[in-house]
Amino acid sequence: MLVFAASDKGGTGRSVTSANLAYQRALTGDHVAYVDFDFGSPTAAAVFDVPSAMRGTEEQGLHSYLEGEVTEPAGIDIWRQTEHPVLRARQNQSGRLVLYPGDVGGGEFATGEDALERCIDLFLRLHGEFDLVVVDLSAGRSYAVDLVLAATAHPRMRNVPYRWLVFHRWTHQHVIAAAGLVHKENGIVRSGVDRGHDEETLQGNIRFVRAAVPDPESPLWSQVSHAQEAWMQACNKALRRLAADQRIGDSVVLGTVPLEPILQWREQLITEDDVLSTQIANKETLEALEEIARRLTDDSHWGRP
Amino acid sequence: MRPEDTAPRAVLDCGEVRTCLLPAGQALDSRAAAQLLRLRADERVLVSERPNVYGRSPDVLTGVDCPLPSSNGARVRAVGTVAARAALTEGRVLQTSAHFRVTATGPDHRRPWGHYLVRPAVVEPFGRLPRDAVAEGLLGGGRHGDLDVGLIAAGLQTRLLRHPLLDQRPPLRSRPTRLRWVAVPARDGDGPSLERFTLAEDELRTVRLRVPEGTASADVAALCDDLALHDWLLTTLVRILDGIRLGPGLPGPRRRPAAADDLPVVVGALRPAVDHLLHLWMPRARVPGHLAPLWDVLEDEPGFTRQWLALVQRVRDQLTLHAIPSARREVEPTP
Repeated sequence: MLVFAASDKGGTGRSVTSANLAYQRALTGDHVAYVDFDFGSPTAAAVFDVPSAMRGTEEQGLHSYLEGEVTEPAGIDIWRQTEHPVLRARQNQSGRLVLYPGDVGGGEFATGEDALERCIDLFLRLHGEFDLVVVDLSAGRSYAVDLVLAATAHPRMRNVPYRWLVFHRWTHQHVIAAAGLVHKENGIVRSGVDRGHDEETLQGNIRFVRAAVPDPESPLWSQVSHAQEAWMQACNKALRRLAADQRIGDSVVLGTVPLEPILQWREQLITEDDVLSTQIANKETLEALEEIARRLTDDSHWGRP
Repeated sequence: MRPEDTAPRAVLDCGEVRTCLLPAGQALDSRAAAQLLRLRADERVLVSERPNVYGRSPDVLTGVDCPLPSSNGARVRAVGTVAARAALTEGRVLQTSAHFRVTATGPDHRRPWGHYLVRPAVVEPFGRLPRDAVAEGLLGGGRHGDLDVGLIAAGLQTRLLRHPLLDQRPPLRSRPTRLRWVAVPARDGDGPSLERFTLAEDELRTVRLRVPEGTASADVAALCDDLALHDWLLTTLVRILDGIRLGPGLPGPRRRPAAADDLPVVVGALRPAVDHLLHLWMPRARVPGHLAPLWDVLEDEPGFTRQWLALVQRVRDQLTLHAIPSARREVEPTP
């Protein structure tokens, strides 16, 4: 299955959350590919802790591949090449986890029919090799979004299941922006229909992930005054109403990732070690990530019996 | 200048084979296979049903004029043609391979293309060929711009995988492999020998052979196709068994809990192997008799067929175990 990770704005935690979902699925035994269509962003290398492995992929990344300069994009085996001590001790029975990086310093992708065909070749190849393929798209209505919409509408891809995750933060502006990215005039759904997607099917394959959501009940806020607490509760309620009005209410939310202090400081994978041994991460964060990872392929969360 | 009629001795054969599962829900029947493999309108696809169902496309030639890779940095320009073809075994495993033969010497200029076209799959170096350095360079992979026979095989593979006959519903997850090979002449009077078979990276294998002078390049390529096919089968079956949890025991702490009816997990993982892979094992099926002894080397060490049979037995044992009604099983095999 292909999973596209999109967001309207930067700073929504899209890359770090989708990388965590990929990691969680690999731990459960799935073979997972993480495809970095967020061009020129160094996030993936940082999250998976593979800075030196990225050297040597400068001219063999996804840009070079889509432009036809190399026949296969470079892949980085995370368990083997990461410098992260916990990841290096790959857990027994975990699946493969492979990062396909973009070219260093490679801006937006090439456009055109050839790039589309090669993009489809890539998706089909990964689909044959991996149980789950997570494609991280750059923020906003980028060319990458159009490319993957065109690819998934292509007849060659008719039997390849795909799903979209739209990440947004839990604020007024982010809720409106995320809804706009999907539902507005030039949003994902409209652009998809223009490229041959069935509106209802495409719509049914989109879910939202609320990231960095402060939980008023959390101990983080135990010191706040009554006035502050009441204000937070009211805000939360108003946001839920807004989200529902914008058609991104609870029924289309796949999950919520709580505000996690360490992710505010550093983009990284949350390991069991971070929760149990060093206790720098919250248990709730890890549980939320595990749950969303599970729901990715749980049809009951995608409106299917 | 060398007279045109005395062909210089061939001193090096080289090729690369890409092997992958055909991405189709059902194996292709002979007619569909022939359709897939019809790369040229003017030549027929070879289809054979004994000892297994096998289709092979006609050769397509690619003209090349570029440096040969070498291990010592020598840049030897070479001109000629590379032959590529595709083969489908039992409508299920797709192989594309490209190969060429290099002559010992050649003129220090490019001849008219007509000269090369009547010598399919022959590449002539400018001047003298530093054979050993080029053989090592070919196996090790060259620099950007060097002659890359793998690119030609990959291009053909991409072309075939776009064919509308394929529904892109592979019945199991698998990884493609590449097998790169070189063959140099055997010492006088010696038979063929396999000097090296290496699992270089995850997906790359390299093979170094010695073959008696006069061995046809196509015969060596056929042997390497056969090695690549069986190496891929073995690799794929090993990975299927490697990835599943067998026998009774508690599920791992992070493992997704198995469904209440645990049957599909192990059976679901092994069944595609039974449906699509187990009947494909037939070493030497397409290897010319005089090269068949090369297989014996691999049968002795590491023992390809020995390992395959052990894996097949494991698959069958597991399926048998799961066929016993659970009430009669002493311990519930929880995957």
